[in-house]
Amino acid sequence: MDTFLQVLASGLMLGALFAIVSIGLTLIFGIVKVVNFAHGEFLMIGMYLVYLITAKLGLHPLVTVVAVAPLLFLVGVATQRLIIQPLMSARDDHIQIFATVGLSTALINLALLIFGADIANTPPGGLRMPIQIGPARVLLGQVIILLASAALVIGLQLFLQRTQTGRAIRAVAQNRAAAQLMGINVNRIYMLAFGIGAACVGFAAAMVAPLYPTSPTIGTYFVLTAFVVVVLGGLGSIGGAFAGAMIIGLIDSFAGFYIGSDLREVAVFGVFLLILILKPSGLFSERLNLSHVSP
Amino acid sequence: MTDTTLDNTIPAPRTSSFPLKKAAALGALLLALLAAPIAIGDQFVAHIFITIFIFAGLSTAWNIVGGYAGQLSLGHAIFYGIGAYAGVMLMNIGISPWLGMFAGAAVSVVVAVAISYPCFRLRGPFFSLATIAFLEVFRVLALHFRELTGGATGLMIPLKFGWEWMVFRDRTPALLIAFGMLVLALAVAWWIRSHRLGFYLVATRERQSAAQAAGVNTVKVRLIAVSASAALTAFIGTFHAMYLTFIEPAAMFSLTMSIQIAMFALIGGLGTVVGPLVGALFLVPLSELARGWLGAQALGLHGFVYGVVLVLVVLFMPNGVIGILGRYFGSAVPERGTQSASVTAAPRAAERPPIGNDILVAEHLDKHFAGLHVTNDVSFSLKEGEVLGLIGPNGAGKTTVFNMLSGFLKPDSGSVRVRAEDGSWRAPLTPGDFAAIGVGRTFQVVQPFAAMTVEENIMVGAFHRHSDVNDAREAARETAFRMGLAPWLHAEAKGLTIGGLKRLEVARVMAMKPRILLLDEVMAGINQTDVRRAIDLMLFIRDSGVSIIAIEHVMQAVMSLSDRVVVLNSGQIIAEGKPQNVVRDPQVIEAYLGKEFTHAQA
Repeated sequence: MDTFLQVLASGLMLGALFAIVSIGLTLIFGIVKVVNFAHGEFLMIGMYLVYLITAKLGLHPLVTVVAVAPLLFLVGVATQRLIIQPLMSARDDHIQIFATVGLSTALINLALLIFGADIANTPPGGLRMPIQIGPARVLLGQVIILLASAALVIGLQLFLQRTQTGRAIRAVAQNRAAAQLMGINVNRIYMLAFGIGAACVGFAAAMVAPLYPTSPTIGTYFVLTAFVVVVLGGLGSIGGAFAGAMIIGLIDSFAGFYIGSDLREVAVFGVFLLILILKPSGLFSERLNLSHVSP
Repeated sequence: MTDTTLDNTIPAPRTSSFPLKKAAALGALLLALLAAPIAIGDQFVAHIFITIFIFAGLSTAWNIVGGYAGQLSLGHAIFYGIGAYAGVMLMNIGISPWLGMFAGAAVSVVVAVAISYPCFRLRGPFFSLATIAFLEVFRVLALHFRELTGGATGLMIPLKFGWEWMVFRDRTPALLIAFGMLVLALAVAWWIRSHRLGFYLVATRERQSAAQAAGVNTVKVRLIAVSASAALTAFIGTFHAMYLTFIEPAAMFSLTMSIQIAMFALIGGLGTVVGPLVGALFLVPLSELARGWLGAQALGLHGFVYGVVLVLVVLFMPNGVIGILGRYFGSAVPERGTQSASVTAAPRAAERPPIGNDILVAEHLDKHFAGLHVTNDVSFSLKEGEVLGLIGPNGAGKTTVFNMLSGFLKPDSGSVRVRAEDGSWRAPLTPGDFAAIGVGRTFQVVQPFAAMTVEENIMVGAFHRHSDVNDAREAARETAFRMGLAPWLHAEAKGLTIGGLKRLEVARVMAMKPRILLLDEVMAGINQTDVRRAIDLMLFIRDSGVSIIAIEHVMQAVMSLSDRVVVLNSGQIIAEGKPQNVVRDPQVIEAYLGKEFTHAQA
């Protein structure tokens, strides 16, 4: 029983980690309608920034969030403005896939050029301290990730529901042309949305870096799971991503313990493929199709 | 051209001499590529050329799925890896890789069909994500089953040299085999592109529903494409494993490699025959030289260059190198005539055939969209040679009825029966069944295959009756001439005006030679001249013996064309009869103009 509770706790902690990494991805997809294959590399950039700031300036990793999140916001805005926006009217979405895949390849290799293939360990700042919750033992940093991801979900929901800008963002997400006719500057909203999505990853990086070693390919490790989470939760649904992340975290944790740690990914991707094929709109969203005219 | 009188009006076939020239140029390029490394005789140069051939071959195979069919697979290394493992594992038990590659290809085809079939309904990025996920699953499984694959330590091939083992001390035989693989891939890609299958694939990529309406079995054609692509990829995988002499899961089932394969095709020119070769020719030497010269000191440099080049290409030359070349040599953009130019009137048949018995019967069609009862017990029939007008206010359910009459929607209850040519009654279910039995339809929102020329658009319809490209082309030209589209045969469909597009929509379905034609608002939004022209066109179609159901709002057309009119309102038939009687029906007036109007009139 204790083992079960420990695996459960680990699964929830893992789920929180996946959630905090995935929220930005689902936000960008839901609004800009672009699957950002370079999302993992944004996380990688964020983690290197955290590493540099903590290692060079001796700050606590959690403090770096005030610098890293705004910097990532700028990275996101620049990506949208320079790469995605010129392609928004592209004939098909292949072009956008290639663009973000190219960006991802370039960023991974740029990190290789600058930092080499060795891993960089961010000083943990006490976040790797184990704490006992009932029979289960988790790390302090993991609990902070869980709380932070929940706060992020609630904060973003409030922002999107209650503020004028949030309403404009939702309007653009639902109907780009109509929003434009209502006087919303669509390109600005897209830049803002992409920036916020990237800033969420910066926020995540400050909490992930103390727990996980940073390397040029760390993004690929996270991004595939993030895609799984986002599809599971229903693309664009922030709450769905959180729930999806918890499910994937639990599957990963239980499969790793009961089936074998080298087959965890098979379980996770197996679930992903089942969802994609059986209910591509995700578990927590309804498909919106208003057009009966063109089947 | 069978009819010599048409030669004046129809532009000379552009394609008759062109492919020969193209083929000759491609042949010369290939020979030069083979001769160069042999002439230079350097081992490193030979290695670079072998790598070029291998990647060009892989990319060409990928392009059949990613380019022609538009299914952007980022998991093609699955098939490469299967080919490699099959070859090495069989060689370890003493079977020649020449046989092993067929085993690998067979497994790959099975895997490809099993993976693709459920994934085809995923569009764009989701298909890519699914292929990535499958690739990860294969890599993890290859790591897990150590007894079979050697796990992370990988597999070495036994050192047996000679042609029967595909392993050589010298580079030249490997060069020849790699070249042979590339030529095979190019030949298959060329064959597909220039035959019916290629047209069907591109049509499916551009507009799936329009392709289905034209009788294309969209699932089947894509499965064929995927199978061909997987088999070719597996062949090359087997050979490459022999060339590398060592394989391991991370290198064989690699996402980076899958991306590279796709990238060469994009940079060369997506969906073109030689594009992938051109892309590999540009980029492989670049990366191999960077690796050779800069090596460890510049870890990641070539990857960085790859990524940046990819982004720049996407931003500034989305049609790839081939697109740029095409623009400079002026072959890709044919000049456009003004579309209001005079159009030869369609010749009228001497006499209208008499109206016969029922040919299509709809019975008790019921359809709900969530809470909305879109059609409620709709029953009517169409007689042979008749023009039936289907009218009603917006939202009456007309297009939904059409979708049920052509297999795009399944009715909740009720049935559609069609009399086949042999006189028996059938109940077709899918769009393909309806097309096969001779029901053709147009779409209210025009659905041209945007990347194709007008001629090619019509050819997709013509392929329904003709399997040969030349026959289809001829049939398409004849149809284009009759529809007044002859001057724009070689213009891209996306350049037509709305009137032109509506005519193209009719031309494509007419090229299928349907017995029953469903026309969905072909006259909406076009000018008066075009309306008159369209009415003539419909009379001509009717007189050639086709039975027509037309949804139309243009009353001038409804009144002058329809033999009978069915009025639909809120999903129910409220009136049926001769057009002049129906328009006087108070219920119909009420449906269109409201109660007040009927009262005022009374």
